[in-house]
Amino acid sequence: MAGKTRGNNPETPNSMMLRRTLILAIVCGIVAFSVLGLRLLKLQILDHDFYETAAVEGQLRDTTVTAERGTIYDTNMKILAMSASVYNVYISPVEIDKYDVDEKKGITHSFIADKLAEILDIKSADILEKMGKSKTWYQTLALKVEPEVSDAVRDFKTEYDLVGVRLEDTSKRYYPYSTLAAQVIGFVGNDDDGLAGIEAKYDDVLTGINGRKVRLANAVGTEMLLEDYEYYYDSKDGEGLVLTLDSTIQYYMEKHLEQAVLDYDVKNGAAAIAMDVDTGAILGMVSLGNFDLNDYQTVSSEVQQKIDAEQDEEAKAKLLFDAQQLQWRNKAISDTYEPGSTFKIITLAMALNEGVVSPEDSFYCGGSIDVTGRDDPVKCWKRQGHGSQTLTQALQHSCNVAFVKIGLQVGAKKFYEYCENFGFFKASEDGSEYLHGKTGIDLLGEGSSIWWPHDYFTNDLNKSSLAAASFGQTFNITPIQLITAVSACCNGGYLMEPYLIKSTLDSEGNAISTTEPKVVRQVVSEETSATVCGMLEQVVCDKKEGTGKNAYVAGYRIGGKTGTSEKVSKQVETGDDEYIVSFIGVAPMDDPKIAILTLLDNPSSSCGVLVGGGQMCAPTVGKMMADILPYMGYEPQYNDDDQKQIDRSVPDIAGMSLADAQAAVTKAGFTYRVIGTGGTVTDQLPAANSVIAANSQVIIYCDEKPSTSLETVPDLTGMSYSVARQQLGSIALFVRTSGAISDSGSLVVTNQSVKAGTQVEHGTVINVTIIDLANQGRF
Amino acid sequence: MQTNQTTIRNYSRSMKITRGPMDIPFLVVTLLLLGIGVIMVLSASYASAYYDLNNETGGSATYYFTRQLIFAVMGVAVMYVCSRLPVSFYRRFSFFVLFIAIALLLAVLVIGTRVNGAKRWINLGFTTLQPSEIAKVAVILSFSVLICKYRNYMGTIKYGIMPFAIILAVIVGLLVLEPHLSASIIILLLGAIMLFAGGARMFWFLAGGIGIAGIFIVLINTMEYSSERITAWLHPFEDMSDTGYQIVQSLYAVGSGGLYGLGLGNSRQKYLYLPEEHNDFIFSIICEELGFIGALLILTLFALLIIRGYWIALHSRDRYSFLVCTGVTSLLAIQVILNVAVCTNLVPCTGISLPFFSYGGTALLVQMAEMGIILSISRDIPVVKTVKRKSGSTAKRSNKERSAEQ
Repeated sequence: MAGKTRGNNPETPNSMMLRRTLILAIVCGIVAFSVLGLRLLKLQILDHDFYETAAVEGQLRDTTVTAERGTIYDTNMKILAMSASVYNVYISPVEIDKYDVDEKKGITHSFIADKLAEILDIKSADILEKMGKSKTWYQTLALKVEPEVSDAVRDFKTEYDLVGVRLEDTSKRYYPYSTLAAQVIGFVGNDDDGLAGIEAKYDDVLTGINGRKVRLANAVGTEMLLEDYEYYYDSKDGEGLVLTLDSTIQYYMEKHLEQAVLDYDVKNGAAAIAMDVDTGAILGMVSLGNFDLNDYQTVSSEVQQKIDAEQDEEAKAKLLFDAQQLQWRNKAISDTYEPGSTFKIITLAMALNEGVVSPEDSFYCGGSIDVTGRDDPVKCWKRQGHGSQTLTQALQHSCNVAFVKIGLQVGAKKFYEYCENFGFFKASEDGSEYLHGKTGIDLLGEGSSIWWPHDYFTNDLNKSSLAAASFGQTFNITPIQLITAVSACCNGGYLMEPYLIKSTLDSEGNAISTTEPKVVRQVVSEETSATVCGMLEQVVCDKKEGTGKNAYVAGYRIGGKTGTSEKVSKQVETGDDEYIVSFIGVAPMDDPKIAILTLLDNPSSSCGVLVGGGQMCAPTVGKMMADILPYMGYEPQYNDDDQKQIDRSVPDIAGMSLADAQAAVTKAGFTYRVIGTGGTVTDQLPAANSVIAANSQVIIYCDEKPSTSLETVPDLTGMSYSVARQQLGSIALFVRTSGAISDSGSLVVTNQSVKAGTQVEHGTVINVTIIDLANQGRF
Repeated sequence: MQTNQTTIRNYSRSMKITRGPMDIPFLVVTLLLLGIGVIMVLSASYASAYYDLNNETGGSATYYFTRQLIFAVMGVAVMYVCSRLPVSFYRRFSFFVLFIAIALLLAVLVIGTRVNGAKRWINLGFTTLQPSEIAKVAVILSFSVLICKYRNYMGTIKYGIMPFAIILAVIVGLLVLEPHLSASIIILLLGAIMLFAGGARMFWFLAGGIGIAGIFIVLINTMEYSSERITAWLHPFEDMSDTGYQIVQSLYAVGSGGLYGLGLGNSRQKYLYLPEEHNDFIFSIICEELGFIGALLILTLFALLIIRGYWIALHSRDRYSFLVCTGVTSLLAIQVILNVAVCTNLVPCTGISLPFFSYGGTALLVQMAEMGIILSISRDIPVVKTVKRKSGSTAKRSNKERSAEQ
């Protein structure tokens, strides 16, 4: 048998070999394959979901369809912020190595890098370094480049058929008015997320929801051959925002406030707010210094010089950081200050509303008043005192002594209650503590007021707090709180919640929601409000008594109140006298519509004008009103006094007989002088239809020509207005002014539109700014 | 050459008298695996052939498939020829093959094509040749001859260990110079199995096992390339973009197949995600497309082939045939098991191809030749022929009896 032959044959394997091979068969044929089978069971059945999800995640290409960020409009639908399509430029080093580099055609790494560096205006070495990361697919070169640049990149890419140079669709935020209302509008970061202002506060609303396009793709991102798999998730564009802010009003406010900062050498910035008195809508909000929203990181050139001069890197960074934080800060809502005399409006309103005073009441001011709990008497800003005065006069004079008396008459408890009702703070339930007060305006970063606890303030044995509060000292509030409270005093007594968003729009421009003005509460009666309005107008229109006379605009009924407060903490800290000067103006006083609060933080006393709200802020608000009220559609109504003083137009007298010409010029409100001996007018200065100050001397030429030589403009600043007018007239130059004019000799020129020393033609009209410097004071 | 031919003729003449038919189950399973393998090459390779990132195919999606099909047809022919050759022919030329293999291993160090820093390929113009494939056959054939020759001295060091150790040292030494780690491992394992089957003392396997384990531990700790692979094996998801990429993509393919798979041709991972998808990782694509059921079916076919191979070895006519058949079957088993273990991350990633499936012309030809050798051996089994004519139970009993006798 076979077995026998095998067993005996040394050529056949022995039993040990067969046994071992059987073991091999079992191990390699059964055991090992069972292990592999179990492994497959684990991977393919038990862990199937995990691997499938992970695999699909890797195989799907998710393209984001970016939702367009909503546009921000001003109240007249002028675009303040908008997004536009731009491109990011990036390279894919893997693909550059694989497809693009071609030594024969001269397409080398350095060639591509040099070209791109030239187009993108960056360093070639940086591009080369990124290109050197040869295992990566994505290296960003430039973010959000302008269309010209991305076009140039695309042309370069097409010309050399470059696969690894790529453009990526993204969007960029543009701010057409660049610096206008910068702190209010705010800005977005590189990822289009709002970082400040409205952009940050309403980031969710503006952002919208990104859509997605999902498809299967191979590992290099192109389509798979067989599978047809695509899903779309629609994007939802962000909502548009219409602000209550009016860019024209904002422009006028910024223009005049910037001028004030220059004129009065203001060290610490300035702020202004314009509010719709009836609704609480913000019409304008300025915080200086400004910055360009399109380039929000850049600080002013002076600050940059200071930073450049600094050696230490850390100090440099800190300087830059501080400067940026400062310029981004919205002073009008974030900073708190002692309002000073502007707060007397509030004291007045509560006293009238409580019936403890009436406009005819008489208040005597001897220069100071003793107050329970105070060691030294409270001094009036006018040391010699105002003597006997009515309530209206006390307001006109901004008399501290009278207002301390009024405050004491109201009483601490009522005073505290009114202040809370006016929104300056919010007391806790049991009244033992004040809570931080805010107006609730729809902006980020609103500051909180600083007030006394109730029990401390209402202490009968110490009325010093009440006395100081009566004229606006020793507590801190924000500008937005003050203008909201003053608006309540002027609109019939209703405290409104200030707001900036007028409505929101969908992507087609249809309104989604519209903000309804919100009445927080009625604080004073309509009668009280009317009385306050009347008295406020007297502060401005009374050219003898009114401390706010510099805010007067011919033809308009403007009311207002000045404020000057010493920064006590600064005084203690540095020993320097630093002031915040302010003015709040309201117009038109027959039916108040707009309130403007302007404040200058630390103007310099070296500017030639005494530091004080009446001298500095009142004329600023006046100039704003002079521009804004006509813009808002209010026609000037000149009274007799105004008629005599306003600027007027020069008639066309060329070709007239001398007598007719003289009559026409006189009728137009000018004087004249005649040059030459002819009977017919051959020429005139200034030219016909020039607008110049009333009572200017028009020059009539009869058979003569005006001299064609140039004239040097003299320095008019500090000169009295009438002298300036005459002096210019004598050299055939003219002035015009939109400021408050009276016959008082105390009108002084503070600014001129054409610089001293400039060579100008005869007949040139120079705009001058004048203020009344009679009765200057820190009121 | 002339003598060779006459020898073949002589053997052929004698064969006609004594030899039976080849083993049909083994042949059927081999052809089945070859057929499925060629189809899977088509499915797995057409994406990469189409995209042609290596500038090889000219964008023809069937480029790899066509070449593999040609080699498969050639392979069947080679297998047939090898099955017709008598076992004594192989025995006579065993050492000749060993010398050829060593010569090629030396040659590849000089004229080899360098790919990824290793010289493993000799370019033959129409295709490339891996000398390590020949070396594997050489080890099987030469070891078989030596074991037969020293059958009475297998317990000694001088005859039972030294000659084998010298051959292994030469071959592995040359492979390390390429370097070619996976082939070294396979050949060491193969040599060990040959000695195991050949009756070497167990002590040497213990000693050799410890020694080789020690060397590997040192290698792994000193070579950055290897330790990276170990890290990728243990923690594939930690560095998915670099070292762990391949294994993670493989696991994705295997895991996402599920029970039924995505269907033939529907793999997604083959779309350039999984590297080597038609070579070393073709089994992952099988798992993805054919699912757990399909993968298990293919593994079962392999297991059947291997078990049948050992069965033929156990029933072979002489000691040499037994050793060659055990060696070839074991080589097949090692490659299949290690390849699938790599695809499923049971062992660290090494470049081991899957027999009959992985794309590669010469490897396929060599494998088919090996199958031909087994078929040739199967034709010499006298017992099977008689048993098949009479009754199977007698054969089984006689087997048992024979085992008991010894």
